Amino acid sequence: MRREVLRPNRVLPLLMLVALAAWLGLEAVSVAPNRIVPGSGFRAHEVVGWTGALAGCLPLLAVAALAWRPTTGRLRLVLALAVLLLMAMPAWLGLAVTRLVDPAQPQARLGLGGAFWVLLFLLLLALIELRARLRLPRLAGWGLLVPVLLAWWLALASWLEPLALLQEYRGRSDQFAAAVGYHLGLVGAAVGASLVIGVALALLMRRHAGLQKAGFGVLNFLQTIPSLALFGLLLAPLAWLAANVGWLAALGVRGIGWAPAFLALVGYSLLPMVRNTFVALEGVDPAVIESARGMGMSPRQVFLQVRLPLALPVMLEGLRITTVQAIGLTAVAALIGAGGLGGFIFQGLGQAAMDLVLLGALPILVMALVADALLGALTERLHPGGTR
Amino acid sequence: MIELFDVTKRFGSETAVDGISLRVERGEFCALVGTSGCGKSTTLRMINRLIEHSAGEIHLDGQPVRNFDEQTLRRRIGYVIQSTGLFPHWTVARNIGLVPRLLKWPRARIQARVEELMTLLGLPMESFADKYPHQLSGGQAQRVGVARALAADPEILLMDEPFGALDPITRDALQEELRDLQSRLHKTIVFVTHDMDEALRLADRLVVMDAGRIVQQGVPLDLVREPADAFVASLLGGDDRGFKEAALTRVGARMLPLSPRLIARARVHREASLRQALAVMFREHADRLTVVDDEDMPVGELSLRRLVGARPHE
Repeated sequence: MRREVLRPNRVLPLLMLVALAAWLGLEAVSVAPNRIVPGSGFRAHEVVGWTGALAGCLPLLAVAALAWRPTTGRLRLVLALAVLLLMAMPAWLGLAVTRLVDPAQPQARLGLGGAFWVLLFLLLLALIELRARLRLPRLAGWGLLVPVLLAWWLALASWLEPLALLQEYRGRSDQFAAAVGYHLGLVGAAVGASLVIGVALALLMRRHAGLQKAGFGVLNFLQTIPSLALFGLLLAPLAWLAANVGWLAALGVRGIGWAPAFLALVGYSLLPMVRNTFVALEGVDPAVIESARGMGMSPRQVFLQVRLPLALPVMLEGLRITTVQAIGLTAVAALIGAGGLGGFIFQGLGQAAMDLVLLGALPILVMALVADALLGALTERLHPGGTR
Repeated sequence: MIELFDVTKRFGSETAVDGISLRVERGEFCALVGTSGCGKSTTLRMINRLIEHSAGEIHLDGQPVRNFDEQTLRRRIGYVIQSTGLFPHWTVARNIGLVPRLLKWPRARIQARVEELMTLLGLPMESFADKYPHQLSGGQAQRVGVARALAADPEILLMDEPFGALDPITRDALQEELRDLQSRLHKTIVFVTHDMDEALRLADRLVVMDAGRIVQQGVPLDLVREPADAFVASLLGGDDRGFKEAALTRVGARMLPLSPRLIARARVHREASLRQALAVMFREHADRLTVVDDEDMPVGELSLRRLVGARPHE
């Protein structure tokens, strides 16, 4: 058994106090009779009455109190409470549906209010804090989310029919799947291409010192062009190419669409990729390289068995930055007809339908978080015995 | 056997090593001593061709080193550096087995050799084999470094200030172990250091370098008795030089047979150095010591006059 922690935890009580204020003060849900009419908001106590609302405060207060004098056992209890709260949220929404949404109005929909988002956000923060305090491995942290996701999935599939987000999705389920696939495909292709080009460039720069300055100059310049401007700049040359080179046009290259998006994404991805690869390879301890040579390893063996493996964590860091950045940028690429989840965002903004915006934005957020976590975990794996 | 004939190394317009000639016999422990930047490390690294010499010839058992393939040459020569240069992403066992693996030894033979070396260097297999270098203390890491250099049983060992980064106590222990190892293994060792005490303690032969040249070379005692110039004298401790000489001579070599006089109370072991004997006299306020053997039996006596080698007519 680990020694008990005695220092008071200030983070969790603070998070819970903010959550409490949001829960009682902000609108938890909103109800609209159809998609066009703006909804009217309801606070927690307007849905379940003051008794219910105050009962909802109890677990939050319990978390704060337990965390104030934390021991390993108490923190585990807090962790369980936080997970249970996250699981209870869709159930509470179901309650709100039965109380507020008139079954006679099939168009009526339930929107999520500020209190709900704040609570969701703060509880996730609390999970992160607890994972760090309890020193749970990364995988266990994600494992905690499994019951939460299951609860939400069950609720969405059965009793949360009138949830506005779900209704937006219902209308576009085919489009949604296609958009997710397209988004991932574009990101994957761009990151893959920049990985190959970036590593090749970094290797070239290491061999020819003269290329370093010029190379980083160009890449830095590329990075400073605003994304929309870069899309615009690519429009004319690509349109010209499509008009004059038959096989490019046959491939689907146009002034707008995936081609400029792909090129711009690769352009933006190159700098972090090249810089991290270069710095990683250069940063290997010279004494280690010296001893590798001194032991009689060939230049090839030194590179493949020593330099590359030691550089890999930093290189992967570059891949992580690149991937997360590309996932976000691809959303903007929807403006030049590249498709993907950004399409929902801009469509929703145009129609003032916030739930449609969310339908595009939430999966992008999830994708970025998952990519970040997966690559982060991989990087951690590659550090032998923990630290170096 | 290593021979250097008029070897020079230039970096651009700088001359790092300036026409040195040197011969290290098989089984000899040769220390290159000098201040930083005197060219001792460069000389060492020219032997395994980590640095190519600009002029002259370097021979290994009569063959110019340039006749060997670089990698083949280095796999025949053990190499130990100050910062150990252990691969941080490999376990201790894998680090030690590096050269045998490069030489494509069968797996079982590598395993057996690694085990043998870890035992030899006082690193129990079960507690160290799977550790990573960052989990070791400085002394343990350098033991692994030495084990790795010895892995393929090379004829020659090149050591570049291997104990320079260690604390005095660990350094002492490792020096003692190296002396022990050498008395059993009889490798041809070229050892670079700026620490004269270390060199005096370990080497059969000292080579003092300054500004890329060899200033003086010879048996440690000869250098201490007759330094060639003021530089060598100062490197040997200036006024303290006498203590270094005393440290190099055994009590057994100076003692006289027991006299019929009353036996002296203060004792010193026959194998102790004159320096230690002097310290005992100082501590015990005695000018005469009884010399004893391993069983603590008196075998002779040593007077202060005899210790300092005073001539009879004075």
